[in-house]
Amino acid sequence: MEATEFDASLGGGEHLPNTVNSFKFVSSRSIEIAAMTESILKPNKTKLIFQYLPVHMRRRVMSHNCKRLPKKLREGHMEQLKKSGLPPKQKRPSRKFRRRPTNLLEEYTKRQRRIAWLETHIWHAKRFHMIERWGYRLAYRPCDKAFRACYRASSAHCLLQDISYCLPIRITGPLESIEKMFSYMTNRLCGLSITAKAYLSGNRAGFIHMFKPGSYPFGYVGKVEFLWVHVNLTPELILFVHPSQVKEMESIMVGIISESDPHKCDNKQMKLISNLAGVKIQVLYESFNRFRLTGPKSHPILTHCLKPVNEISTVASNKWVCESNKFNIDLLLKEKYDYWSNICNLTSPSQLPARMVIGLTVRDPRWSRPKKRTKAESLDCNISSEHLIKIPDFASSSPLWYTVINNTVKKNAITNAKFIEHITKTNLVPGEINEDDPKIQSIPIVLIQLPGSQNSEYKKIGYGSGWDIIVPSGYGLAFWLTFVMFGARSGGLRETEHLALEMGECYFPPDSESGKLEEKRMELHLRDIYFKRPPSKRVNFIKLGISNPFNYPWTILLKDWSEQSPNDFFVLRDRKVISELQNALRKKGTISDISNGDFCLVPIYLHVNGTGTVKEHALICVPEFGDLISTRTICEAQHEDPNAKIRKERRKDHLNLLKKLRRKRLKLKKKATTKSTKQVKRKPHELSEYVKNMRELWVPSNINSVRHNCLREVMGYVSKGAFSFTESKCCAIGYVTFNALKHLVDSKLNKVLVRNINSTKYRIANIQIINSL
Amino acid sequence: MGDETNPKKRNDQQDQRRKPNKNYAVKKRLPLRPREGDNVIFVTKKTNFKAQLDKCCDLLTKGEKDIILHGLGAAIQRCCNLALQIEAAFCGTCQIEVNTGTVDLVDDLEPLTDDLDYGAQVRHSSSIHIRIFRTAMLGANQ
Repeated sequence: MEATEFDASLGGGEHLPNTVNSFKFVSSRSIEIAAMTESILKPNKTKLIFQYLPVHMRRRVMSHNCKRLPKKLREGHMEQLKKSGLPPKQKRPSRKFRRRPTNLLEEYTKRQRRIAWLETHIWHAKRFHMIERWGYRLAYRPCDKAFRACYRASSAHCLLQDISYCLPIRITGPLESIEKMFSYMTNRLCGLSITAKAYLSGNRAGFIHMFKPGSYPFGYVGKVEFLWVHVNLTPELILFVHPSQVKEMESIMVGIISESDPHKCDNKQMKLISNLAGVKIQVLYESFNRFRLTGPKSHPILTHCLKPVNEISTVASNKWVCESNKFNIDLLLKEKYDYWSNICNLTSPSQLPARMVIGLTVRDPRWSRPKKRTKAESLDCNISSEHLIKIPDFASSSPLWYTVINNTVKKNAITNAKFIEHITKTNLVPGEINEDDPKIQSIPIVLIQLPGSQNSEYKKIGYGSGWDIIVPSGYGLAFWLTFVMFGARSGGLRETEHLALEMGECYFPPDSESGKLEEKRMELHLRDIYFKRPPSKRVNFIKLGISNPFNYPWTILLKDWSEQSPNDFFVLRDRKVISELQNALRKKGTISDISNGDFCLVPIYLHVNGTGTVKEHALICVPEFGDLISTRTICEAQHEDPNAKIRKERRKDHLNLLKKLRRKRLKLKKKATTKSTKQVKRKPHELSEYVKNMRELWVPSNINSVRHNCLREVMGYVSKGAFSFTESKCCAIGYVTFNALKHLVDSKLNKVLVRNINSTKYRIANIQIINSL
Repeated sequence: MGDETNPKKRNDQQDQRRKPNKNYAVKKRLPLRPREGDNVIFVTKKTNFKAQLDKCCDLLTKGEKDIILHGLGAAIQRCCNLALQIEAAFCGTCQIEVNTGTVDLVDDLEPLTDDLDYGAQVRHSSSIHIRIFRTAMLGANQ
């Protein structure tokens, strides 16, 4: 059909022309076209130039800072600004001015007055979230998304951590006295004693569990790494103590010494150096830096970074070498150089003897630093197993342990600026390196091997292996940056925590003072988060049957599982009992009683079946017979919340009270307009009685029993749980009571049920006893 | 893949074998590794078999001329299995070259009493090294 728009089709007289003369058509519309082109060329602008930009090209403070604009628009923008007459903006003092060394240093020392900084602090502060712990400002986690990358580094590459916060304590004196002193604080059942033949030569570092004197198995203090060093041919003991335990450890040791010497019993002033009974204790603040390199690539990184000095003649002019000549120390440079070059082509540090110690004298690490960040790769080469089996006697000796030499090295440390200045002055051919420059001193260092996992049933062999490097203070950043440039990835405290979980080690055992503090800190933190939420968004723990969502009621749990009511408890560390327990679990045997079993917690490692993660404070429960076979998941029925009604009433009353008070206030105001009544202000961090009561109603704190609160009997709690990359499933570390474990094994079970605090589901998990020392 | 021995029995055997002396605890070290590279694959008992098979097939189809599989001890069987499955998957376009050998493993002997020093022992373990190489390139992948 034809279109019916025009006249002709409707019967009118207007006909459409068959053709259009374009010239005529345009000329008749010439005025319209001219108007349009003019309006395009000279638009009637009401906006500023930058407002014309599309949204994705707009930047903040564009109008103030013309450099945010595209270059071609800047000119017009400036014209507009001039026209509008904006005042010239005030200049901030230049960065150069602000960061003048004197001002900056002042600022930094001011900041360090309250808490200590590590030597690499400023490097870390630019890249990490920093937190305050144990009197230090420490790196917690890197700012970039690097959680998985840090795990990958620890398992396939190299993870670098600054653990200089571990304080060395030097103990000198006759060997018998030291042995006697430590026999009060340690127990043979937990492992080798401190004066075992294996450690006394100084070739290996060791670990030891420390307790309060005479209170084993109670009163745990912490796990301490120790190392025997030979200074002036007499053995000295160096303990590396975690800063959370230093104060306790020191006071205990000082206490032992002063007790043994009745003449100077009430000498409390001598805190740092107690010169009693021939044993001297000295905490070496700020004398060493200690870095931890974890992962197989830590060995290639070290071999690339550390270039041992070959001949004495090249370093003879160093001040500390002259100093060492006075002590008649043989530096054994040649032998150590040969040994290091023999073992330098390994692919992983876990191929070397466990916890071996190597003392080296190396050139300044800034010499070997690559221009660009490169990955250190190991060279392939055949190594005879001879070098791997034996540790040569000379390997561990190091002049670093002499206080005088250490101080000399520290004093003559060359800063980065001086180093660069020196190079640019003396370096005639660019790029040429004169490693034997006598002006730049060589540095004594000590390496301690970390064996990682050595039990393939527990963790894959070699996971967590690496090196600890101890360098004199003043050289921390020089070494640190060289490691980073060779491809090490730096991590913080979060990585330490996660590594402990992956390795299946107890990070802070709950029976130590430091563990209790950590628990307290976590509790406050979690409580804070919980009560920040509005009531409708809070998990109702009463309904879920979780009595302690923020803390661990160890003593109540132990009381429930025994007839006694314990005040104190301990974590099982007796090696023999642990291996017996493990065997009994595996073979479904029986467990014999141990002494103090009623006060004993057993550390266990859980592998959760299925998906999903188990978090902190999750309940570990005893399964019943059908639970492990049935395919149906066991769910906790909803508990009744008797407090809900009370909370509602309280809230209503409180609101009424507030209203009443407000009315009263207004009345008073009207009455006495002239009088200025002083209002009593409450401190902001102090909670009112009402809030405290309400919180108590949300999470009651007066709990008498925890064992039978839920569907299944509670036997313990998870202290740390997350997805484990080594096992590729959720793993957790928890503690159960010894009696509960006995009950479990007696009923021929080797699996447990786990329930998160915010869920009703019980999940099945395999358990292993943690035996890693 | 065929290693379905009774775990309980295996553990008992291991316990006996691993304790040469009551005074020592045996701790294992990582074995020395042959040369690593993109086309070198270490087969262990824990790695997912299917994942490694896919990885090998990927490498070969992406134009790698040869890949080398290493297997040690109990993983030898898996290693052979993997190689044979790859060969089957490539229907005669690749060949297998097998070498066997012995690897020295070093164990740490950790003393359990104070008056002993650390020791070390050398164990021997059989190993297999399989090289899989392409004999004919598929037209599409050249």
